[in-house]
Amino acid sequence: MEDALSLLLLPFAASVAFVLIHAYFGVHVLRRNIVFADLALAQLSALGATVAFAGGYAPTSPAGFGYALLFTAVGAALLTFSRGVARFVSREAFVGILYVVATAATVLVIDRSPQGAEHVKRILIGSILTVGTADVAKFIALYAAIGALHWFLRRPLLAISSESQPQGRTTLAIQVWDFVFFLSFGVVVTSSVTTAGVLLVFSFLIVPAVIGTIFSRKVHVVLVIAWGAGILASVAGFAGSYVLDLPTGATMVAAFAMVLVLAGLAKALIFVEAARRSANRRIAGRIVIASTLILILASSLWLIINPAADQPLVAAFEAATGLGPAHFLKASDRDIYESAGRDMLRFQGEVDRLNAREKAARYEGAPLADDEIRRIASYQQSFNEMTRGEQYVQDVLRGKARERERWAVGLPAAIIATVGLGLMWGQRRLSERRR
Amino acid sequence: MRAGLFGLVLAAMVAVVAAAPALAVVRVVATTTDMAALVAAVGGDLVSVETLIPPATDPEAFEPRPGDLDRVRHANLLVRVGLGYDFWLDPLIHRVGDKRLMRGGTAYLDASAGVPLLEIRGQSVVSEGGHAHGVANPHYWLDPENAAIVTAGIVEALARFAPAERDRFVANRERFLAQLDARLQRWRESLAPFAGVKFIAYHNSWPYFARRFRLDVIDFVEPRPGVAPSPAHLAHLIAQGRKAQVRAIVHEPYEPDDQSRLLAEKLGVPFVRLATSVGSLPHTEDYFALFEFNAAMLARVLGTPRQ
Ligand SMILES: [Zn+2]
Repeated sequence: MEDALSLLLLPFAASVAFVLIHAYFGVHVLRRNIVFADLALAQLSALGATVAFAGGYAPTSPAGFGYALLFTAVGAALLTFSRGVARFVSREAFVGILYVVATAATVLVIDRSPQGAEHVKRILIGSILTVGTADVAKFIALYAAIGALHWFLRRPLLAISSESQPQGRTTLAIQVWDFVFFLSFGVVVTSSVTTAGVLLVFSFLIVPAVIGTIFSRKVHVVLVIAWGAGILASVAGFAGSYVLDLPTGATMVAAFAMVLVLAGLAKALIFVEAARRSANRRIAGRIVIASTLILILASSLWLIINPAADQPLVAAFEAATGLGPAHFLKASDRDIYESAGRDMLRFQGEVDRLNAREKAARYEGAPLADDEIRRIASYQQSFNEMTRGEQYVQDVLRGKARERERWAVGLPAAIIATVGLGLMWGQRRLSERRR
Repeated sequence: MRAGLFGLVLAAMVAVVAAAPALAVVRVVATTTDMAALVAAVGGDLVSVETLIPPATDPEAFEPRPGDLDRVRHANLLVRVGLGYDFWLDPLIHRVGDKRLMRGGTAYLDASAGVPLLEIRGQSVVSEGGHAHGVANPHYWLDPENAAIVTAGIVEALARFAPAERDRFVANRERFLAQLDARLQRWRESLAPFAGVKFIAYHNSWPYFARRFRLDVIDFVEPRPGVAPSPAHLAHLIAQGRKAQVRAIVHEPYEPDDQSRLLAEKLGVPFVRLATSVGSLPHTEDYFALFEFNAAMLARVLGTPRQ
C-alpha cells in the first residue's frame, strides 16, 4: 500500500496539472466546435519528434523538441487557415484529414528509422504512471506561463472562440489571435501527450469541459465545474487502476467517461426545475425497466433458438447465482461434469508443477539435460491434451444442460419479459389517452 | 563531387547485385534476423539470405508489405521461427499458394522442430497482443546450444535443394559450431560468478538464455505479453524485487522503457537493455555478436558492486 501511494503521488500531481490546463483549452475547443484539433496537433508534434529521431536526435534533446515545436507551429498555422476553409467544408473534416495524414506520415517516416516505433507507441498509450519529479515541475512551470498569457489575452481569445465571424475585428487580427491560440494549445498538447498518451489527453481536454457545459453557460462557472469533475475523475481512475489491477491510462479514460455519465444523470434527475424532475425520473425508471426486460427477452429467445451457442447472459446469471449447468443435468451426468472440472484443475496443476521444476533447475542444483526437458515438454503436452479432452466433455454436457434450460428457463423468462413489456406499453397508451 | 560520390555508390551497389546471383545457389527467405544469421552460417556463399522483418524493428508489430509476397514466392527455402512467433507468415504463404512453401513442403522449414521447448502452456494458441506464447516460449535462439539443432535442420533443408553441396553445408556447420562452442565456454565463464542471480525482465524473452547461463528471471514488468503493467502490478514487483534481492532490470529493445526504469530506480538496481535478436541493438550484427554483447553487458552491470 505504501509502495502504491508513493507510486501514484507524482502521476496524480501531473494529472491535476493536466486537468487544470486541458479543461481550460477544452472550453475553448468546444466553443470552436473542433474537438479533434488536439489529436491533429499532437500527431503533428509526434511527426516532428519522429523526423528528429530519423535525423539522429533523441526525442528529449533540444533538437528533438525543436522539430516537434516546428511541426506543431505548422499545424497551428494550418488550423488557423481552417477558419477560411469553414465556408466551403466543415472544419472538423479539415481537422480529421490533417490528423490522418500526419499519422500516416509518421508511420512512413518510422519505416525509415525503426527505433522510432517505441516513441510512437509511447505517444499512443502514454505512461502517466512513470512521470518523474522533474517532468511534473516542468509541466507546472510551462502551464503557469501559458495560463498567465491566456489570462492577459482572455478577452480577444474568448471572443474569437465564441463567434464564427467576430464583429469589429480585422481578418488579420482574427488570424493572429487564432494562431496564438493554436500555438499555445499545440505546446500544451505536445508536452502532455508524451506522458499521458493521446487517448488520455483527449479525455482531459473534452470530458471535463463537456461536464461543465452541461451545468452552465458562464465561462468561469463551466471552468470551476470542469476542474472539479476532472480532478474527481482522476482520483477515481487512479484508485480504480490500483484496486482492480488495470493499466492506468485506459482505466482513467473509463473513469472520465463514468463521471460524465453520472454528471448527465445528475443533471437530468436532480439539477432541473421541479416540474421536469419527476417526469425525468419516471422516464429514467421506465428506460431501465424496459431495457432490462428487452435484454431478458432477447437472451431467452436466443437460448430457445440456439441453446448450443454462446449464452453470455445465461453464463453471467449462472456465475452470479452459482446455479451452474450442473444443476440442470441428471445425477450421473452431473458427476461427470464436476469430475471433468476437477481433472482440468489437476492437469493444469501438473503442467504448472513441471514448469516450476524446470525453472528451478535453470539455476539450482544439477541442470536438466535436453532430453529431460523434452520429456517434461511431452508430459506437459499430454496433460494439455487431456485438459482439452475434459474441456470437450464439459462443453458437450453444458450443451445438454442448456438443452434443458431452453424450455425450463428460456420459455418462462421469455413469457415474463413479454408480459412485462406488454403491461408497460398498455399503461403508456392508457396515460396518453387520459391526457 | 556529390554526383561523383553518388555514382560511386551506385556502381558499388550494381556490382554487389550483379555479383550476388553468380555466387548464390540457394535463395533463402528467413522471417527473422536470427534465423537469417544461422542460415548464413551454414550456407556461406552458397546461399543468399533475405529477412522479412527488417533488422531493428519490432517483430511483434510487423506488417508484411507487397514486396514480401514476391520474396516468399521466389524463395527456394523459407525458414521461420515457428511456435506462433511469426504467425503472420501463414497468410502470406497461403496467398502465394505454392505447395512447396507450405507446412510439410520441401521448401518449408520450421526451425523450432527438435528444440527442447520450455514453458509449454496448454489452453490458448491464439496470439495475445503481438506474438503468441501459447504453445511454448518461442525465444529459443537465445540459447546458443539450440543453434546446433536449428542448423542441423537448415543443412537438411538446404541439401534438399542443392544435394551436390551437402558436404560443404555440413563442413560450414561444423566450423560454425566449433567456433560457437569455444565462445560459449568464454561466455559461461564470464557469467559463472553470477549463477542464480535474480532479475526482473520486461518481456518473457529469456527462459532459454537463463537456462544456459544459470540465471533466475523472477517476474516480468508486463503482466502478459503486450499488456502494460498496472500500478498494483508495479507495487507488487517492487515488493517482490526487494524481497528476492533482484540485481538488475532487464529490458528489451523496442519496448517503451519508462516502467522498467522506474522499477530500477525504486529498487536501486541497474537498468540494462539486452538484445533479443541479431541486429536489434548496435554491436549485435551477427549470432556471435548477439551473445558477446549480452554477456558483456550483464557481466559489466553485475560486476559493479551495489551502492
Ligand atoms: Zn515473446
